[in-house]
Amino acid sequence: MSVCSLPEQFSFLEPFAAVWGDLHSQDERYLKRQSLSYGELEAFHAVLAHRLEEVFSYLDGFDPNALPEPEARLFRTVLGLTEASQAVEIFGQPRVPYAPYPHSVKMEWVGYEPH
Amino acid sequence: MADPINIKSHMTKAADMGLANGQVPVEYYTSPEIYAREQAMIFRRAWLMVGRIEEVPGPGDFMVRDVPPLDARIVITHGKDGLIRAFHNACSHRGVALVCQERGNALTFRCPYHAWVYGVDGSLRAIPSEEDFPHVDKAKNGLAQIHLDVWNGFIFLNFADQPEVTLHEFLAGLDTMLDGAPFGQFPFYLQVTDEIDCNWKNLVNAFNEGYHVAILHQKTLRPAVIPKENPYLHYLDIKHFGPHSAGTVQRNFDYNPNVPTLSWVYAQMLPTSAPDKQAIAEGRAGFYEHPGINRLKIPNFGTETITIFPNISIQPLANGYLFYQFWPLSHNRMRTEVRIYGRHAPKNLREEFAMANTLAATRDVVVEDMAMSRLQQIGLQSGGKKVQNFGENEPLLRMFTRDYEAYLAGGGLTPRHADAAE
Repeated sequence: MSVCSLPEQFSFLEPFAAVWGDLHSQDERYLKRQSLSYGELEAFHAVLAHRLEEVFSYLDGFDPNALPEPEARLFRTVLGLTEASQAVEIFGQPRVPYAPYPHSVKMEWVGYEPH
Repeated sequence: MADPINIKSHMTKAADMGLANGQVPVEYYTSPEIYAREQAMIFRRAWLMVGRIEEVPGPGDFMVRDVPPLDARIVITHGKDGLIRAFHNACSHRGVALVCQERGNALTFRCPYHAWVYGVDGSLRAIPSEEDFPHVDKAKNGLAQIHLDVWNGFIFLNFADQPEVTLHEFLAGLDTMLDGAPFGQFPFYLQVTDEIDCNWKNLVNAFNEGYHVAILHQKTLRPAVIPKENPYLHYLDIKHFGPHSAGTVQRNFDYNPNVPTLSWVYAQMLPTSAPDKQAIAEGRAGFYEHPGINRLKIPNFGTETITIFPNISIQPLANGYLFYQFWPLSHNRMRTEVRIYGRHAPKNLREEFAMANTLAATRDVVVEDMAMSRLQQIGLQSGGKKVQNFGENEPLLRMFTRDYEAYLAGGGLTPRHADAAE
């Protein structure tokens, strides 16, 4: 792991960037969520969910189409919460009940290049 | 304040629709022979929806689509003359599926095998070493065209040599009721595609009743949609048009997610399904204003769940609509395609996060339905049960079965109530 992969003020997210920061699609994030323990998802959620506004206030200062790598990595890490929060806020467990495991689902944004 | 609506009196029961077929053979869901009959008698005869005109907005725009039950690979093009056409993706020379991009813009299509060239209107333009094909009349050897028609921006195909009815006759009045419904206001979409081991009709049925929502979707949908006065989410005021239908569904307007991520998402950009109370109050909430939607004018209107035979479910919502299509791949494997339609692509990172969150949440609901349908298939195939039981509160399952049987028997396509619902 690089010494400062995230913008410095968000270094508290470094352990979670190691998990989520290199994932580039929603399906990769969905698969990661399925593979983690509930405790790991809860820990990520506990650190980040109440600080979303702080993260996005910072990211508002950048052109979304030209994010420097530390900010892009921060955003990819934060996108991991879209999956972790489903586990923590909705299901109270990592996986959708009764679903196959591992379960890959094709998800496409048509006419937009997501981060 | 207006008198409260008596919700119970609007819960359409099977008996109200004259549907006494409460037991349906399991073999419809497990038999390869019956699936072969579905391919011939339903998918080769019905008009099948394959997309929206916004997907091919300008001249030269094209897209490729699969129609799995017919093993068909289709190219849909927007011609220079403004016409939208559909063709089988097959070169007239030796059959190569020549259009290999999923979507794009082109002046011509060139076969990568021997460079036969076609216009986007399907005409055969050039044959290299043409003198060796004296028996091939270019004027008669364009791409093989498929019957196509458009209703309210939705593109339908018909694979019969000669369609038995027009698209308008096929839609049998559903089109009239929903004419002008503003689907075109929501051109942007995210697509979820998942395949699973079950019969395609398991999913059709899941979207045709609300009875399961409080149980299967207890963690996902239940808090947001199940109202106190309708605990089994009975569809209200069912309108039916030939084999197609629409039923009104409520939701909880006082739902407050009260969890940090979802609350933050709601503050950025409401999910597709969440009512935009301000827009409703100001009369600019898209589908809410349409006279064919929420005829009862119930105040906690959630969606009108619209079923188009054989394999489409559409749910107009406050901030867009959800589109579901259920394709059989065999008698016991199927593909669900879900599209989450909204007004526009994300304009900033906040909106991208909010949409990604809605994507994950919508997908998880569909995964619940897919997972349960797989367990259902295991049970059905085990062989101990000869029938499924469809309740009085599952009228649309009985109606689908009635029309499905009519199609398999060679009928089903005569518009029965072209001008009247109920």
